[in-house]
Amino acid sequence: MSLLLERLVNGLADGSIYALLALALVVVFRSTGQLNFAQGEIGAMGAFFVSTLTLAGLPVWLSILFAMVLGFVVSAGVERVVVRPIEHRNPGAVIVALIGVFLGVNQLVAMIWGVDPRSLPSVFPDAADDFMMIGGAPIRIARLGIIGVLIVLLFLLWLLFNKTKIGLAMRAVANNQESSNLVGIRVGSVLVLGWGLAGAIGVLAAAMLAPSAGLTGTLMLSPFLLASVAAVLGGLDSPLGAVVGGLVIGLSEAFIVGYVDFLGADMLLPVMLVILLVVLLFRPSGLFGSARVERV
Amino acid sequence: MSGATLLSVTGLTAGYGPIEVLHGLDFTVAEGEIVVILGANGAGKTTTMRSVSGLIPRHGVIEYAGNDISGAKPDAIVRAGISQVPQGRGTFTDLSVEDNLMAGAYTVRSDTAADLDRWFEVFPRLGERRDQKAGSLSGGEQQMLAVARAMMSRPKLLLCDEPSLGLAPLITRELFRVLGSLRDEYGMSLLIVEQNAGMSLALADRAYVLEIGTIVATGTGDELLADDTIKEAYLGVVN
Repeated sequence: MSLLLERLVNGLADGSIYALLALALVVVFRSTGQLNFAQGEIGAMGAFFVSTLTLAGLPVWLSILFAMVLGFVVSAGVERVVVRPIEHRNPGAVIVALIGVFLGVNQLVAMIWGVDPRSLPSVFPDAADDFMMIGGAPIRIARLGIIGVLIVLLFLLWLLFNKTKIGLAMRAVANNQESSNLVGIRVGSVLVLGWGLAGAIGVLAAAMLAPSAGLTGTLMLSPFLLASVAAVLGGLDSPLGAVVGGLVIGLSEAFIVGYVDFLGADMLLPVMLVILLVVLLFRPSGLFGSARVERV
Repeated sequence: MSGATLLSVTGLTAGYGPIEVLHGLDFTVAEGEIVVILGANGAGKTTTMRSVSGLIPRHGVIEYAGNDISGAKPDAIVRAGISQVPQGRGTFTDLSVEDNLMAGAYTVRSDTAADLDRWFEVFPRLGERRDQKAGSLSGGEQQMLAVARAMMSRPKLLLCDEPSLGLAPLITRELFRVLGSLRDEYGMSLLIVEQNAGMSLALADRAYVLEIGTIVATGTGDELLADDTIKEAYLGVVN
């Protein structure tokens, strides 16, 4: 029972990181219809920046905030400098360009920060004895903190999208760019903002993951793949789907590794892809994606 | 009935890539005037509207209320007081009816609650469905929503791109009645492009006939309604 509880919390914590990344992917996909392959790498870059800032003596939380600003700027720049000029001429080529950005950022990180693994301090109490007993299970506070970060971020995003004018503009642009122009929304600025926001969220996800996973150049590789699966599973245009998808994958990971002996951690991704295939066979637009039925 | 010139378009050319669609249009809309540009499919009606709204690159001089807006961006044109009801309605189908209207008021800085109430009063069906997604409305309701959304930016000039497209005759009649009342009750000026000659010319103070990117005839709505070539080409009346 206590082991189950421990695995549940661990699964939710990992799932929260996938959910954050999947959310970032969905925010971009809804507005531009692009899967941002560089999402994970921009996050990793932010995590290395956090490491530099904390080594310089800044508090961890402040370092994460600064790194999120960096993630915002880099990701917004990718939209403005790479995606938009190419998209006008050949939308399909954007995918290739984004894979290029993925490789470029990955190499840039190696050039700036080297290839030796680093450790990143957690923003939460993360010493050996920083746990509390819940239902007889030792639950690490840092793990609970990650789940809390997801909840707070979801609330902030909900406020942004549903209670602010710029959030309304973002939803409008995601739905119909031409009509957004016609009501006076500067569509280009909204797209830049959406990409920037996604970049910042990606950095947050990486900064949550790095303390337990270790900070390396490949930090975000597997989480990005799992988050992509989560986003497609939930429906690429559904923020709710991204969160549910992320948590489902985090929990599956914890339980498959914990309870299914013959599949270990290495078999996780194939298992997830099979789950994804089965879901898409029956629900092509994902669990929560909109199938686009409308009257004319 | 009509006052000073509000919109003046001179030598407008526009197109897509190497293909020129409009070959130098001249037309005007006066304050409080309803002007119709009549044209068949492919005549350049939508291109004309998209040019005035600043959605596509265009050449020529477009003046609005004495200001040159020839090169202005779409958001500046909305702020100046021109709002468009696009072809095919262009509602935000995933957004609620109310959010569609609030998006329409994106450029308005002051409180818009009173505007919202007013348009729900003018279009009671929209009020009943304010929390429903726009995509679930019927074609006629979506057209009304598109008009109300355009009015939320508090324009002085309303551009309507083929508002009758895909609507039943009875609903088209109701729509044109509403468009007429926008002028009569709110002092709006309207520029409507249409191929429904009968109903639009009956509403129009003045009209232009657009054929393959060139204006080939102009007159009052009544004059054009009585014109034999117009009757033949747009009303299916054979003499």
